[in-house]
Amino acid sequence: MDKMIYSILAVKNNPEKLKTLLSGMKGIAGTDLYEVYFDQIYAVVSDINKTDLINDKSNAIQYAGVIEILAQQFTLLPMRFGSLMESTDLITKMLERNHHEFHQNLQKVENKYEFGLKVFCDSEKLKAELRARSEADNKTPAKAISEIKNSMYKNYMIKKLKEHRLEELLLTYVDSVIADITGYLTRLNAVNKFKKMATETTIIDAVFLLDKERKDALIHTFGDLQNQYTRLKFVLTGPWPPYNFVEITIK
Amino acid sequence: MHDNIIDRSKDITILELLDRVLNKGVILTGDIVISVADIDLVYVGVKLMLSSVETMEQLKSGKSLVEK
Amino acid sequence: MSENKILFNTGQLEELSEEIGRLTNNEGSKLKLNPGNADSGLAKLVLTLVELIRKLVEKQAMRRVDGGSLTETENERLGETLMKLEMKMEELKKHFNLTDRDLNINLGPLGDLM
Repeated sequence: MDKMIYSILAVKNNPEKLKTLLSGMKGIAGTDLYEVYFDQIYAVVSDINKTDLINDKSNAIQYAGVIEILAQQFTLLPMRFGSLMESTDLITKMLERNHHEFHQNLQKVENKYEFGLKVFCDSEKLKAELRARSEADNKTPAKAISEIKNSMYKNYMIKKLKEHRLEELLLTYVDSVIADITGYLTRLNAVNKFKKMATETTIIDAVFLLDKERKDALIHTFGDLQNQYTRLKFVLTGPWPPYNFVEITIK
Repeated sequence: MHDNIIDRSKDITILELLDRVLNKGVILTGDIVISVADIDLVYVGVKLMLSSVETMEQLKSGKSLVEK
Repeated sequence: MSENKILFNTGQLEELSEEIGRLTNNEGSKLKLNPGNADSGLAKLVLTLVELIRKLVEKQAMRRVDGGSLTETENERLGETLMKLEMKMEELKKHFNLTDRDLNINLGPLGDLM
C-alpha cells in the first residue's frame, strides 16, 4: 500500500473543518481521504494500490477534482499526479523537512488564483505582414555575404539570413505583445510567466497569479487586448489552483 | 451546433487540466519520465529517495547500517 | 468540478482544441522504450538532443552573420558547415524514419532554451 498525496494545505485555525470536508469526499479509486500534518502544514492523502493506479486520464482527472474542491476552502499547493510515499511517518518527516518552504510558498499563493493564457496566430501570415511592414528584407546582404565565392554556400547563407531575420522580426513582435500584456497586468498586481513560440501557432503560452477578486478585471483586460490585436486569438482559462506557481524542490 | 461548442470547451478544459496535473505542481522527484517496458522509472526514483531518507534517519539516530 | 474553464476566447474552438492537444500531448512527451522499439526509441532521444544543439548553434551563427562582423571567408565556411549539418540531420531522420514531429519530445527545462 502506498500513500498518494493530493496537495499541501495551510490550515491555520480550524483543523476540524478539513476533517469534515475530507470525510465527505472520496479520492481516486474510491479511496478515503485523510490528513497527515506537521505544525500547520497538512498533506491530504489516500491509500492506494499501485495496481489501482492506471496511468489513465480518468484517474488524473479525478485527482485534479479532489484538488479543485479542497482549493475552494483552503490555500493549497497542488501535488503532481503520481506523488507517492511509502508511509505516513515518511510523509510527516517530509513535511517537517520542508516546512519553512511550504509555509513561504503557501503565503505567496494565499487568496490567489492562477489563470492561463494562450495566444494563437498564423505564423506564416504574420511573418508575411511583418516583412511587408519592415525594411529588413530590402537590406542587401552585406558585402561579406555577396562576395562568397562558392555560389551554393552563398545562396544557402542568403536563404538562412532571410529566414533568420524573419524569425527575429516575429520574436520582436511577440516581445512587444508580451510587453503590452505585462503593462496591463501590472495594474492588476499579477505575477506572470511567459513562454514564447511554443509552436509556430502558439506564439504565447502564459500563466498569471493574481488576487481572486481581480478575476473579472482580468477577463475585461483580455477583451480589450483582443480588440487591439485582431490578427491574434486569445484564449484565457481559469481559475485554477496554483499548479504553475509552486516553487519547491523537496528535500 | 451549440453542443459542439460545449464539447469543445470541455475538451480544452480537460486538456488544460491534464497538462497541469500531469506536468506541473509539487514534485517529489525528477522531471523527465522515461518508461522502460511500460514501467515508469519515476516511481523507482521515489523509492530510491525514500531509501536514502531512511538511511539518513538511521544515521541520525546512531544505529549502525550494517549488522556485523 | 467545473466543466468549462474557458473564460475568454474568440474564434474556432475546433482548431484551438487541436492545437492545445498538440501542445499538451502527454503521450508524446514520454519516451517509451520497449524491447521492440529500443533502437528507434533511443534514436528519437539522441536525435532530439542533437537537433536541439544544431538549432542552437545555427541560431547563434546567424546572429553573428547578421551582426556583420565576420569576413567573407568566415561566412563561407559557416555556410558550408551549417549546410552540411542540416543535410546530415535530414539523412539521419530519413534513416530512422523520423519526422520533425517525432523529434518534438518534451525536454522540460532544456526545451525552453529554444
